[in-house]
Amino acid sequence: MSGHRIGAITRRLLQGFRRDRRTLALLFVAPIVILSLLGYLIRGSTSSPAVGIANEDQGPLGATVASALATSKKITTSVIQAADGDAKLKDGTLVAYIVFPSDFSARAQQGVIGPEVHVEGSQPGTAGPVLQALQQALISAIAQAPGRTFNVQPTVVYLYGGPGFDTLDYFGAAFIGIVVFFLVFVVTIVSFLNERTQGTLERLMASPLRRGEIVIGYMLGFTVLALVQSAEVLVFALAVLKVHNAGNVALIFGIEALMAIAAVNLGIFLSMFARTEFQAVQFIPLVVVPQLLLSGILFPVSTEPKPLQLLSNVLPLTYAVNGLRDVMVKGADLTWGSLQLDVGVVLGFVILVLLAGATTLRRRIA
Amino acid sequence: MSESFAVDVENVSKSFGGVKALDGVTLRVKQGEIYGLLGPNGAGKTTLIRAIVGLIAPSGGTVTVLGKRIPNVDVLRQIGYMTQQAALYPGLSVEENVLFFAAINGAEGGVDDALKLVELDQRRKSVVATLSGGMRQRCSLACALVHKPQLLLLDEPTVGVDPQLRVQFWEEFRRMAAAGTTIIVSSHVMDEAERCQRLGLVQYGKLLAEGSPDEVRAQAGTPNLEEAFLRLAGRAES
Repeated sequence: MSGHRIGAITRRLLQGFRRDRRTLALLFVAPIVILSLLGYLIRGSTSSPAVGIANEDQGPLGATVASALATSKKITTSVIQAADGDAKLKDGTLVAYIVFPSDFSARAQQGVIGPEVHVEGSQPGTAGPVLQALQQALISAIAQAPGRTFNVQPTVVYLYGGPGFDTLDYFGAAFIGIVVFFLVFVVTIVSFLNERTQGTLERLMASPLRRGEIVIGYMLGFTVLALVQSAEVLVFALAVLKVHNAGNVALIFGIEALMAIAAVNLGIFLSMFARTEFQAVQFIPLVVVPQLLLSGILFPVSTEPKPLQLLSNVLPLTYAVNGLRDVMVKGADLTWGSLQLDVGVVLGFVILVLLAGATTLRRRIA
Repeated sequence: MSESFAVDVENVSKSFGGVKALDGVTLRVKQGEIYGLLGPNGAGKTTLIRAIVGLIAPSGGTVTVLGKRIPNVDVLRQIGYMTQQAALYPGLSVEENVLFFAAINGAEGGVDDALKLVELDQRRKSVVATLSGGMRQRCSLACALVHKPQLLLLDEPTVGVDPQLRVQFWEEFRRMAAAGTTIIVSSHVMDEAERCQRLGLVQYGKLLAEGSPDEVRAQAGTPNLEEAFLRLAGRAES
């Protein structure tokens, strides 16, 4: 062991970084950006879930509980008609609604408290605060009738999914797409960069190949791999993990394939801005992390702080994730307007990066 | 009559961020000629070759290859370009590499001939990553001439190639030139310069002197080619 020799290695390493400003920025700026994004996402969200209250109770108890719910800080309530409830869940204005049936007070006299809770069901986290708020409201209502014991039996109805619908069912739909997108992106960006650094791209440029031919050839080659991978991921998710699926498998595969093609072209395009493999790999946190946080995979876009929602709405992955979820959780098909929008945006993104890749190709050969 | 020249470079200049890599170079190469570009590292040889292929756009002047103004994608089919670094796909075998470059030129039939020529037909199944530097250079050459181009641009083709094979390379270059292929080869090995029909000395992005090896020697007034170049380069400097 020689301190001098070890010191030489350490010094050499730091000297190299001094000239690589981009890596330094990544090391010191990226964590702050990512952490503040995460903090803003989680703490900045002020909205509480919108819950509709339909009071059909002929007795007094329904109104008592409803007014207790209205003061709850966990949820934001509004008065609705029970008949409109499902429509409001579908269009996303409510995450849940509570119905106090006409015999609500009458049954309470017999010791049974039975409100109906209707939840949207596609997001596992959202039912929790609603049920908590309801429980608190019931406790405060019951406290006004001391000495009696009540049997609380809420009926929970799921618009999508069901009581067995778990976190994996919710995340699974999005992760199927995300896994394919990011793996394909990484493989493409690195191998296209190799084409540059090993000098073969210069040779291709000096051949009759046209730029478009190179980009499309690359795209097809990686698409073959990506499609096999997509199929594998899909089969594993559905057959082994038994992720909930209410939709058409071919449609899911189609959206996945579209994401894979987008990833290939994004990889080709971004490889123009990296000189070394090292720099190429740095695009992963830059491209991947914000999209992972903001495309509604972990945190529903509707619960994000408003400024971040604007950002989420321009990320193509937001639409891909939403589309996959609509198909798998809600059983959407191409007649749904929302799915047409999702697929359209992803398709538009594919074309955009394809053109961007082809036009920037000649700029940097060596 | 630019038609009679395979390569016609007219007063070409190119700057990279203030540094003049090419400074008013005029160069004409006849069909079937072997033209040697000589000069020290960084003199502008590679830039000149890239301008001929159309990989860089000159800031001034024109390049005409086989009667067509460059850049021209169709002319590229008639050009074979061997880059300085052996630009190959390390994960593919020798044969797969050569076949790839044949295919993008629509000349899959030439693979066997090209492999025999560079004496790699025994190693055709070897993966390039496992080859020695000299073998890679040979494979790279095979990729450049597999489509039997009319113009061959070779950027220091014999770096890392052993003397016997170098002699073979040059015999083949001569055969190809005799069959009508025009060859432009850059080098800083004087023994190779001797084998060219015409030489151009490039330095500081300028063509300092031009002529057959004998003419160059006479110009410099010395029987030694290496000495001649040092003198000519020195004259330009002072």
